[in-house]
Amino acid sequence: MKILLIIIFSSFCLFFGARFYFKYKRRKSFFDALIFLCHKFDVEINFSRERVVNIISSLEEKVKQNLCSLDKNFISCIENKESLEKDKLLKSISFLSEDEGNSIFLFFKSLGRSDMENQLKEIKNFENKFSQFCLSSSQDFQKYGKLSIKLAIVACLMVVVLFI
Amino acid sequence: MLEQILPSEICLPLTKYVSFNALNEIRLRVDKPIVLSMGSQKFFLSSHGTTGNLKEAIFPSKTMIEDIIFRASEFSIYSVNEQIKRGFLVTQGGVRLGLGGDLIEEKGQIKTLTNFNSINIRIPHEVKNCSLSCFDYIIENGNILNTLIISPPGGGKTTFLRDFILQLSSRNFAFNVLVLDERGEIDLGSKGCIGNFADKISFASKKVGFENGIRSLSPNLIITDELGSSDDVQALLYACNSGVSIMASVHADSVESFLAKEDFAKVIKEKVFKRFIVLSLRNGPGTLEGVYNENLSRLGRKY
Repeated sequence: MKILLIIIFSSFCLFFGARFYFKYKRRKSFFDALIFLCHKFDVEINFSRERVVNIISSLEEKVKQNLCSLDKNFISCIENKESLEKDKLLKSISFLSEDEGNSIFLFFKSLGRSDMENQLKEIKNFENKFSQFCLSSSQDFQKYGKLSIKLAIVACLMVVVLFI
Repeated sequence: MLEQILPSEICLPLTKYVSFNALNEIRLRVDKPIVLSMGSQKFFLSSHGTTGNLKEAIFPSKTMIEDIIFRASEFSIYSVNEQIKRGFLVTQGGVRLGLGGDLIEEKGQIKTLTNFNSINIRIPHEVKNCSLSCFDYIIENGNILNTLIISPPGGGKTTFLRDFILQLSSRNFAFNVLVLDERGEIDLGSKGCIGNFADKISFASKKVGFENGIRSLSPNLIITDELGSSDDVQALLYACNSGVSIMASVHADSVESFLAKEDFAKVIKEKVFKRFIVLSLRNGPGTLEGVYNENLSRLGRKY
């Protein structure tokens, strides 16, 4: 019975620890992927004036995964002739603050709306903004992500000590 | 293709009630009725098809017009800005949108067109064998004579050129044809309408297209649409001096009005073109008015 309780409580602690860890990790990977997308837009638009949809579609699977369906939501709005709305675009992403969500929405809303020169300037501006978000998400990950795993392990040990 | 760029309130009545074979143009203006040109007739578009009643017509909003242009650019205005600067936009399917709006100039250079207020959608057609009656006049002893197609706008010049290329291909005339498609209309947006023996350079000016094409693709025949400026004429003369045959088109009502164009004085004087084919809208687009030789004598039967 004791062993069973130890397993249950330890799993509980580890589950929450891992959940917070992956939340911060996913946030960091998300902003990394967003910055990668900005770079890709910059290169592809500059070199071949490639269309927005083609650029997004040609992203590697790993990057698409890290974008947490942002790419799919954007393309689906376009293909279904729907106007781009913040809720539709960010529907599968829960870890963004209001400010971050607004910036991402404005970034996607600005895509393809101007000539090359201005489009590249806009992308650069958004990239700078996303870099700040990325830096803060990276710090959060270092601070809280790893901490949550450590706390979970400590909690597990405490459970073991308490029960033994 | 139109389904992808037009909003459903315009697209539905168009696809349901209007025959695309008869449709030549769709004109959309902000807060004005949509006008359809079908042959020589014009109608308004209503939610239940064509109408002559202004009250039933659909009036597109400014947002609708901008949305159509954004969609036609495949959500990437920057990728078609060079076309927009010149007042048009060609979709992937070869549909040409003429654009009206405010031109932005900076230091004497056109930067872009913005604040769009009207669109003229030209529906491309493939009229099989429409060039056939002129075929024997253009080819002489296995050579293609320099030929100019003359017609007013919407008179069927591009359709004629497109069919001529296909006729060459279907008859296995293995000339190396270079299609200089400045507006992306001849090949209907890469739909493969240029047969088996043609290379294509799209969206390049005549000057760049002629020079690069002759150097890199060594064509026997260059086919191009809508000669207009003196630069085009210079490029044309360069090609002729390089020993390449030319087939081109120009906007004019008749041979006489073509002869009055000052930019073409040298071309006329040097008798660069050996054949003139005149098309009109008299019995609908593509009506053949006559084929003339370099001395402007009508050839063959009277049409």
